[in-house]
Amino acid sequence: MKLVPVFGLIIFTALMLYAVSDLPITHNPDVKQYYLQNALEKTGSANAVNAIVWDFRAYDTLGEETVLFAAVIAVFLIVHKKSEFKLKTLKKQIPKTKQN
Amino acid sequence: MDLIIKTITRVMFPFIILFGAYTALHGHLTPGGGFPAGATIATAFVLLLLTFRESEVEGRFPEIKLIDIKSIASLALLAIILFEFALRDKLIQYQIPMTVWSGGDTLPANIFGSIIVATGIIIIIYSLIKEEWKK
Repeated sequence: MKLVPVFGLIIFTALMLYAVSDLPITHNPDVKQYYLQNALEKTGSANAVNAIVWDFRAYDTLGEETVLFAAVIAVFLIVHKKSEFKLKTLKKQIPKTKQN
Repeated sequence: MDLIIKTITRVMFPFIILFGAYTALHGHLTPGGGFPAGATIATAFVLLLLTFRESEVEGRFPEIKLIDIKSIASLALLAIILFEFALRDKLIQYQIPMTVWSGGDTLPANIFGSIIVATGIIIIIYSLIKEEWKK
C-alpha cells in the first residue's frame, strides 16, 4: 500500500524536473525597471515590495496563501482525533432523538 | 509561569497587537505588509499560550471559529485578487497618494492577508500545544 504514494512522488518529481529543464534561463532587466518605475503610478503603493507582492505578482501570493491554508487544515486534522468530533456530534444528537 | 512573566505578558499583549495592526495598515507606505503583520499578531497569542496555564486559556481559542474567520478572509482575498484589474483603477481615482488611504487594492489585500496568516499560525501552535498539555 505504501508503494503507491512513493511511485506517485517519483513520477511527479520526474515530470516537474522535465518541465523545469525546458524553461528558458533569461535575465530580463526590463521587468525590474518596469516594476520599480511604475509601482507608484499603477498601484498607488509607495512601497515597491508590497506593490509587487500584492499587485504585480498577486497570483503567486494567492498560491502561497493556499499552501498555508492547506498546511493549517492538515495540522488541524492530524492533531485532532476523529473520536473527539464524533463524541461531540453524538452528544448533540442524543437529546434531539429523545424528544422525538 | 512566574508572576513577573504573567504581568509583563498582560502589559505587552495590546501593544504587540497594535504594532501588528500598524504593520498591516501601513504596509503599502513603509516596509511591512500582510505576512509580517500576521506573524506579529500571532506572536502575541503564542505568548499568551506559553505563559498561562491550561485552565486559564481553555475555551478562549475556539479553533472552529478561527478556521471560519480564516476561510472568510481567504474568500475575500480571492475576490480581491481575481477582480484586481477592475478594482485597482477605480480605487486609485478616489484615493489620495502617499497617505494611508492609498495603495489601490494592496490596502485590503494587506488586511485580509494579515488575518489569514495570524489565524493560521495561531491554529497550528494551539493544536500542537494542546497535544503537549494532554501528556
